[in-house]
Amino acid sequence: MDSLRTLPYSECMDSPPTSSPEKTQGGTQSLPRAYLVRSERERLLEAMLRVAAAKGYEATTIKDVIEVAGVSEQAFEEMFADKEACFLEAYEAVFDVLLAHMTSAFEAAAGQPWPERISAALGALVGLLSIEAGIARLSMVEVTAAGDDARARYRSALARFTPFLEEGREYANQGEELPADTARFAIGGAASMIFDEIRAGRGPELNRILPDLVFAVLMPYLGPEAAEDEMRRVIREHR
Amino acid sequence: MGKQAATKVQAGAEGPGATGEVLPEAPTLRLVSSPKRQRILEGMLEAVGDAGYDAASVRTVLDQTGLYRQAFYDEFADKDDCYLEALRYGVAKFAAIARAAGGPESGWRSQLRAGIAAVLDALDADPAAGRALIVEVHAAGPEALKIRAEAMKQVTDFIDSARYASAGTESPPPIAAEGIVAGMHAVVHAKLAAGDGSGFRELLPDFMYFAVLPYFGAEIAGAEMKAARL
Repeated sequence: MDSLRTLPYSECMDSPPTSSPEKTQGGTQSLPRAYLVRSERERLLEAMLRVAAAKGYEATTIKDVIEVAGVSEQAFEEMFADKEACFLEAYEAVFDVLLAHMTSAFEAAAGQPWPERISAALGALVGLLSIEAGIARLSMVEVTAAGDDARARYRSALARFTPFLEEGREYANQGEELPADTARFAIGGAASMIFDEIRAGRGPELNRILPDLVFAVLMPYLGPEAAEDEMRRVIREHR
Repeated sequence: MGKQAATKVQAGAEGPGATGEVLPEAPTLRLVSSPKRQRILEGMLEAVGDAGYDAASVRTVLDQTGLYRQAFYDEFADKDDCYLEALRYGVAKFAAIARAAGGPESGWRSQLRAGIAAVLDALDADPAAGRALIVEVHAAGPEALKIRAEAMKQVTDFIDSARYASAGTESPPPIAAEGIVAGMHAVVHAKLAAGDGSGFRELLPDFMYFAVLPYFGAEIAGAEMKAARL
C-alpha cells in the first residue's frame, strides 16, 4: 500500500501471526487467511485515522471506516468491539510509527554527541508529522479535546519518548542534580509547541520549528549556551 | 532591576503601595458586575472542573450555585457563553494572585518565585478550577483556545522580561521563554488531567530551575531550586 510508506505501522506493530508465516499451523491454506486478517486490520486502522482526521472523530462512523478500508462490517465487528476500540488501537499505532521513526534516526546518528542524536530524532518526528498533517492534527491536537481516556493515552504516548532524553542526564554530567521532572518538562514543552503550530494551521510546515524544538528540548538538560549551539548547527544543516 | 520587568508585573496594580493591602484588580475582573454573576462564573468553573466540559450543563451550574434557571439566562446566553467568561475570569484571577504575590519592588527572580508559588498554592486549594481552566479549555472550542493562548503569552512575556533584569547574565534565543511556559504548562496539565488534585506546590523547585536556567545559567538555577525546596 502506497501510503504505508509514510505511515508504516504494519512494520512496527506486533503481529505474530504474520511475522513468521512459515510457522503457521495448517499449511498453505491458512496463510492467505492470516495474511488477509492482518491486512484488513491494517486497512481498518488506517481508514479510521484518515476518516477521523478528515471529518473529526465524533462525526466518524463505522460505515465510513469500512467503506474506505474496503472491509465488510462483519469483519470489523470480529476485530473491534466498537468504533472507540478501533480508534484507540489506531492511535497507539500512530505513536508506534512516530517512535520507530525517531528511534531509527536516533540510532542512525550513533557515535554523534547526544544533542545531535536528539536533533536527528526530532527532525524525523517533525518530518513525519508534517507529511501526515491531518493525522498529526488528530493525534496531537484533537485528542486533547476528547475525553479522559483519550487524554490518558496521549500522556502515556508522550511518556514513551522519555528514554531518548534520559541519556541527556549523563551527557550533561550532572545527572543527579537535574530535576526529576526534566524529561516531562522537555517533552511536554515540545508537544505544546507542536500543538500551537498545528492549531495555527502550520502543521504542513512543522519542519520550520525544528530549531526551536531542539532548543526547548535540550535547554533543560544542557543549559542555554549548549542548547543554542546545537540549535544553530541544526539551522546551518537545514539551510 | 529592569524597568520593563517592573512594568509588566505591575500591569494590573494601581501603583506602588496598592499591593499588599488588597489584591490588585486585573482589568477583566471588573466584568463581574454583580455577586450573582460571580457566583455563576465560579459555579461554572467548579462544574466544568468536576464533570468535564462536555458533561457539564447549565443544570449542573444551577445545582452548584443554588440559583434559578432564569437567574442564569438573565446573565448568559448559554453554557458556552458562560464558560468563556468564566475562563477570562479565572485567568484574570490567577494573574492577579501571581502579581499580588510578587510585590512590585522585588527583582525578577523573587517575583517569579512568589508568583509561581502562589499559582501552585491556588491549584492545591482549588484543583477543580485548575482543571476547568487548564484541561477542559481544550474541549471548549477555538475562542477558548484563543483566551488560553493570550494567557500563556502574558506569562511568556513576564518570564522573558528576565532579559532586562540587570543580573540576567545569559541571552538565550527568543524561543526560551515560550519553551519554559510550555514545559511548566505541560507538567501541570498532565497532573490535573490525571485527576491528581494535590502536591502542586512541590513543583516549585523544578519550575524555578527550568525558568531561571536559560537566563542565569545552571549554577544560579541550581541555587534557586535548592532555595525553593526549603
